[in-house]
Amino acid sequence: MTTMTQDEAVPAARRIHLARQTLIFALLLALLVIAFTVSLCVGRFSVPPGRALELIWQGISDPSRELAGIDERIVLLVRAPRVVLAALAGAGLAISGAGLQGVFRNPLVSPDILGISQGAAFGGALAIMLGIWGFPLIAMVFFCGMAAVILVGLLSRINGRSETVTVILSGLVISSMFSAVVSLLQFIADPNTSLPAIVYWLMGSFATATWERTLVAAPGLILGSCFLWMLRFRLNILSLDEAEARSLGANTTRERWLVFCLIAVIVGSQVAVSGIIGWIGIVIPHAARLLVGHDHRALLPAAAVLGAGFMVCIDTLARAATAAEIPLGVITALVGAPIFATLLRHQYRERTGS
Amino acid sequence: MVPLSLVIATACRRRMAAALAAMLFAPAAFAEEIVFKDQGNREVRLAKAAERVVSIVIPMASTVIALDGSTRKLVGMNPTAKSAVVEGILGKIFPEAKDIPSDVTAPNFVPNVEALTAANPDLVIQWGDRGADIVAPITNAGLTTMLILYGTEELTRDYMTMASKAIGKPERIGELVEWRDRVQKDIEAKATVIPDDKRPNVLYLGRALSDISASGTKGNYNAWSIALAGGKNASGELNGTVSVNKEQIAQWNPDVIFLNAFEAKLDINWVYKDPILSLTNAAKSKRVYKMPLGGYRWDPPNQESPLSWMWTANLLHPDIFKYDLRAEMKTAYKTLYNYDLTDGDIDNILWLKDQGASADYAQFEAR
Amino acid sequence: MIGLTDAVVRFGTRTILDRLSFSVAVGRSLAILGPNGRGKTTMLKALLGFQRLDEGSRVAPAIVGYVPQTGSSNQRYRAIDVTVMGRAAHLGLFGQPGPDDFEIAHAALERAGAARFADHFFDRLSGGERQLVLLARALATGSQAIVLDEPAAALDLRNQERLLDLLKSLREPRDKAIAFTTHDPNHALAAADDALLMMPDGQSLFGPVAETITPDHLERLYGVPMRVVELVGPAGERHQAVLPAFAGIRAA
Repeated sequence: MTTMTQDEAVPAARRIHLARQTLIFALLLALLVIAFTVSLCVGRFSVPPGRALELIWQGISDPSRELAGIDERIVLLVRAPRVVLAALAGAGLAISGAGLQGVFRNPLVSPDILGISQGAAFGGALAIMLGIWGFPLIAMVFFCGMAAVILVGLLSRINGRSETVTVILSGLVISSMFSAVVSLLQFIADPNTSLPAIVYWLMGSFATATWERTLVAAPGLILGSCFLWMLRFRLNILSLDEAEARSLGANTTRERWLVFCLIAVIVGSQVAVSGIIGWIGIVIPHAARLLVGHDHRALLPAAAVLGAGFMVCIDTLARAATAAEIPLGVITALVGAPIFATLLRHQYRERTGS
Repeated sequence: MVPLSLVIATACRRRMAAALAAMLFAPAAFAEEIVFKDQGNREVRLAKAAERVVSIVIPMASTVIALDGSTRKLVGMNPTAKSAVVEGILGKIFPEAKDIPSDVTAPNFVPNVEALTAANPDLVIQWGDRGADIVAPITNAGLTTMLILYGTEELTRDYMTMASKAIGKPERIGELVEWRDRVQKDIEAKATVIPDDKRPNVLYLGRALSDISASGTKGNYNAWSIALAGGKNASGELNGTVSVNKEQIAQWNPDVIFLNAFEAKLDINWVYKDPILSLTNAAKSKRVYKMPLGGYRWDPPNQESPLSWMWTANLLHPDIFKYDLRAEMKTAYKTLYNYDLTDGDIDNILWLKDQGASADYAQFEAR
Repeated sequence: MIGLTDAVVRFGTRTILDRLSFSVAVGRSLAILGPNGRGKTTMLKALLGFQRLDEGSRVAPAIVGYVPQTGSSNQRYRAIDVTVMGRAAHLGLFGQPGPDDFEIAHAALERAGAARFADHFFDRLSGGERQLVLLARALATGSQAIVLDEPAAALDLRNQERLLDLLKSLREPRDKAIAFTTHDPNHALAAADDALLMMPDGQSLFGPVAETITPDHLERLYGVPMRVVELVGPAGERHQAVLPAFAGIRAA
């Protein structure tokens, strides 16, 4: 460290910090925009990139235009809603994971821990088995996800309060229960129609994304994420231990449950249109934290942008790499794990100063 | 109509097939005992012809009924087979078939051993190529099991023959196998001369409503029947049966699309209403067809397969293949089920109401 | 003003606090002493409002400036960010700290003597430095009551001196009610006006330091004989300290 007077050192550190944060955000946003654009130009159906960009521009400038050509429809009716949905879902899951890890003061939790995904999956599997499709399916998924959170809440309530550990344990119980029921449903499902649908959907996919479905899921994803973002300072408070948080004026139980409900809205919306997508909610917040630190005021937006970009890249691989649709869960693990391992090693090396 | 010489040759061949079938089965110590090797290479030993048969394999339920000419011997079937009975004509021909239990197995071929043993079967027909986990519970319960394999026409004929022997109706299979052989050869003869550029790209979708699935060519019966009828498998580059997205289908741009008969709620409008699929060659030329549901669904291998091949061939190459499908169906159903098909029955089986306006479908209408 | 009146807390059949009464007026400083396991934590929780009282009452401002023994240090926040957290109660659920809040936070860091590491990461600071930041946070809440949990416990002697100076300087403007727990009666002598002794038999003694920090009371509190010792302070002035009789070594 170069020697500086006290008066100079403080603003200099602040300037460096600010500059670094700005650079990181700019990079993340740029990556997202690039991922988005490339995604729209890439696919099994060959559309030259120039033409694809032209079509996107036409789609934005004149949204009510009749789409007649196959390339128009592919880019604007198949790829565009899918990429948008992937981005929103990735951002939502990442923000949820970041918020949850803050509230639980534990970097190992993911939205699954509240049983939301499993509850939502149960709703979906049940709907598929009963032959319910379309919007009733989405509604059922959403409500079962919320039901799971409510069950966790009821189960963890002791003496009118719910401790963090109790919530985690209750979440484990409820999610295991729903998981087991989903397995049971798989067991009795028709192997020609329902079962493959259930299995495929459980592995997560944006293949069924249309503008309709995207617009159905979008409010939940966007509103939930916005509210979580508005709570970014509060999440800093909630990430302190119980006594500290309460002494600063936080009603920890109530505020934590508000966060859970917002997460349930986000994850429920996401599962309803694209099945269970794991990994994003636990890994992206970590990566974002390694980049911008713990302060939720930077962490939440960073996680959102990183999650969106990551999910868009992953989904593009899933739909364009081979003739078959690769399930998302497979790719998120294959791609995410090595990246995350590298980040961790880098961080560890930094920390231990070696 | 079939020429007399063909009839005589057919009769001879039928007798030869019966004799051959008899020779396949080793002379048993007891005149009644039936011993054979199943497709899992296991020895199957029956003290006498099976009276109570459970078929966990879906199409075999209707095959057993056809071979026996009644529902008497079938005491258990797969729920997916039951749905075909209920939705299709077999439930009309054999109303009592709707009462045959289907709780003996889950749809995914995992047996319910309690229900199975309660049905007290002499013989259980099970897949041999889906792992030991679905076989062991049956054999451990001491039940005689016959394993069969999926995929090719040879295997299909072979296991149908085994089944007919096992239920003590060896004379039945001869004419059924001979029929299959005759139709296959007839189609092959005309199809081999079709040049490659005249073979349409045909896409069969095993699933459509949940996710969309298509299959590669290797070991796939649908791909084989498409090739037999002078078509090319549009999804041939795939490995096995996998999920595909609409963009990929647009890229393949098939000339003909066949929809599965498994999804009751699926009809050809699903293609025409879709913004992407409606722009495929198939949709634009109205060559989108749902596979018929007869005594069993016409997609997988079963006792009515030759009808399925003829239907496919007539649609893929109407200028080359001109089978009188309605007449063939009436003959077949008389042989298989001793049933006189009405014109209304045929219309229903072929989904004439829904796809009567599809290209070249008018040929299937009643005269 | 902050305090408890006739507070009773029971856990099952055990009575932890038995009609405990004390108060700290604005402008005064209270030192709380008691052996381990006596219920100091429970008392602190009750004082902060986290522990339900089975009987008795509590008086306290809406927000109490709480300085915990250690901060949740697994989070990488900058010191200024930790301090500005103190503004949470003024901001509401969805509020974000504005420039005013940051100014108040900076001023609090100044007052706590921690301004020079405002932009450093909290988890990279030493224990003593962290405590100053936590104190700044408590000051930033704007509360009239400051409660410190064993502020000197983990500090080396130098930092202890610093802390005591800080406690004294906090008391000087006489604008806050300060309470702190400690194991060392000399801290009470140095920085407190009043003392609360939580005796092992369940009773408690509350009063001005001069009356309560006496060898016999302390002996009753700790079960160890105590002696008053006179020594010469750093500036030549007379100092009085109280030490356990076993301190040091037997002189020749």
